[in-house]
Parts: sequence; C-alpha cells; structure tokens
Amino acid sequence: MAIVDLIATNVVRVPLKSSTKTEIIRELIDVLDKAGKLSDSESAFKAVIARENMGSTGLEKGIAVPHAKTEKVKNLVLAIGIAPDGVDFDSLDGEPSKLFFLLLAQPSQSGPHIEALAEIARITRSQSFCRLLLNAQTPEEVVELFKEE
Amino acid sequence: MDGPVKKIMVYVDGSEKSIIAAQYGICLARATEAEFHVLYVVNTRALNDLVSAKIFLKEEEEEYKKDLDSDADKYLNHVRHLAADKGVNAKVFKLSGSINVEIKNFTKEYEIDLFIIGELSKIQSRRDELYNEAERAMRSVNCSVIIVKDDERVLELYNKLR
Repeated sequence: MAIVDLIATNVVRVPLKSSTKTEIIRELIDVLDKAGKLSDSESAFKAVIARENMGSTGLEKGIAVPHAKTEKVKNLVLAIGIAPDGVDFDSLDGEPSKLFFLLLAQPSQSGPHIEALAEIARITRSQSFCRLLLNAQTPEEVVELFKEE
Repeated sequence: MDGPVKKIMVYVDGSEKSIIAAQYGICLARATEAEFHVLYVVNTRALNDLVSAKIFLKEEEEEYKKDLDSDADKYLNHVRHLAADKGVNAKVFKLSGSINVEIKNFTKEYEIDLFIIGELSKIQSRRDELYNEAERAMRSVNCSVIIVKDDERVLELYNKLR
C-alpha cells in the first residue's frame, strides 16, 4: 500500500501545537483518534512511547518517524504533523525535529508496516520535498504535495 | 501440457488482492494443466533500508524479519490449501530480498511463462510509478503478465471448480 493511500486532511496537523516530545506524540495520537482510526488511544500512545524508550525515532535533518505495533488499530494508519519551529525529539543529530510521521500497525501487518516506513524513508531523503512540506500551511497542501510528488 | 501456458507463477504478499490472484491462478492451472508456482518474497531490502535510515533499531529488524517469515509461511500454506482443495499441486517458494528483483529472477530461473499478480494500487503520485514493487516486477519480467481485477467473478470461478 502506498502511503498516499493513508493520507487525508483529517490525519494531518499543520502546525503542531505541542512543544515537547511526549506532547507531540500525544497530539498526533489525538489526530488519529479524532479521525476514528483508533479503538483505544491511550494504549496506542503507550505503544509509541514504549518504542521511543528503546531508542528515539528522531532522525537527522528535522525528521521523526515515531511508530509502533498495536492491536488498537484495524489497519495501517499514519498521522503527519509539522512543527515549523522544531521540537526537541532526542534526534540523532541533536537538531530539533520539524516533520513527524507517526505510523501504527497491527502486529499482524508487518509487511505493509515495513513498506510504509521504507517509503517514508525514501521520501524524506529528498530535501526539496521536505522543504516543500515544511512550507505547507494547511493539511490540504500537505495531501496535495504527496499526490504530486 | 501442450497448451499455451506451461508454468504459472503467482506472487502473494498476504493482501486480499494477492489471494484472489492466487485463486485465479488455481483456476487457470486446472484449466491448462500448467504447473502452479506460488512465490512470497520477504522484503529484506526494505528492512535493510530502514536500518540504514536509522528508523529501525537492530533488534526491531530481527523482530520484523521473524514476523515476515512467519507471514510468508502462513500465506503460502493458505494458498497451498486453496490449490489442494481444487486438485492443484502448488509449488510454494519463499525468497528474501528486493521484491521486484526476486520476482524477475524467479520467472527466469523457473522458466515461468505466465506471471499473475493481484490488482495494483491506483497510481496516485509519480512516486508510486517509480517505487511500487509489484508494478516494477510487472514491467521487468520477460513473460506475459495477468493482473487479476474482477474479484467477484474470480471467487465465483474458484468456488465452481470441483
């Protein structure tokens, strides 16, 4: 499944309001919850935090890809958040994270989960695309960028 | 075995579409008496990419690899049973690597003359055209390809087979 299939305006938050790592994760989980994608947001939140405790998913160049397996989703779900000013996410390069891709999958959906993460990895290699995303002002613009890319 | 098709291969990835494709392959194998091969590719290329991108920890890579291996066994067994129920002997194969590369190599090595895949995702971006593994496989194999689309008709065909 292509990640563009997972993206709709109701799973995109621009800009994110939170200013800490835990709050960012909570905010993105709330986005998914409000979009009707979760059966238990608290468990989903805990699953993401547990994964973060093993090692931060804050990568380099302002990208973070928090993810987890949880029974609390029916299908693979993705939330995208943009924090133009950056948030400390314990990233590998120590720089603030600005683009967040939170992905949740059923434990039985490892294949699609891996393919979606690999696609995010490919997309975020493009600095020009990341710049365009960072400049997006609305969820509609974000969705359009993914369709055009 | 003098028909137009001698060796059919269907690629399954666990999706519903790929299982429908397998059922269509079973129908065709019965009708043509062709050999029926079923392939699952454990996408270790994607796993490696995730470790390189530092999205996955090493222990996560191991865990997901086990999950994928287990998925492969589950889906291959499922298709083997679907085939056996209709009197077709499925030869199942589990490979690891890059999906489109393994499919291409398999069709060549086993001299497959018909490759069957499930319906492809709707192309929504230029990136889909470049990176969709099934689409790349479809373009790269040297044999003929069938993309199975009509789920209901296929299920009807499959269910009618005695």
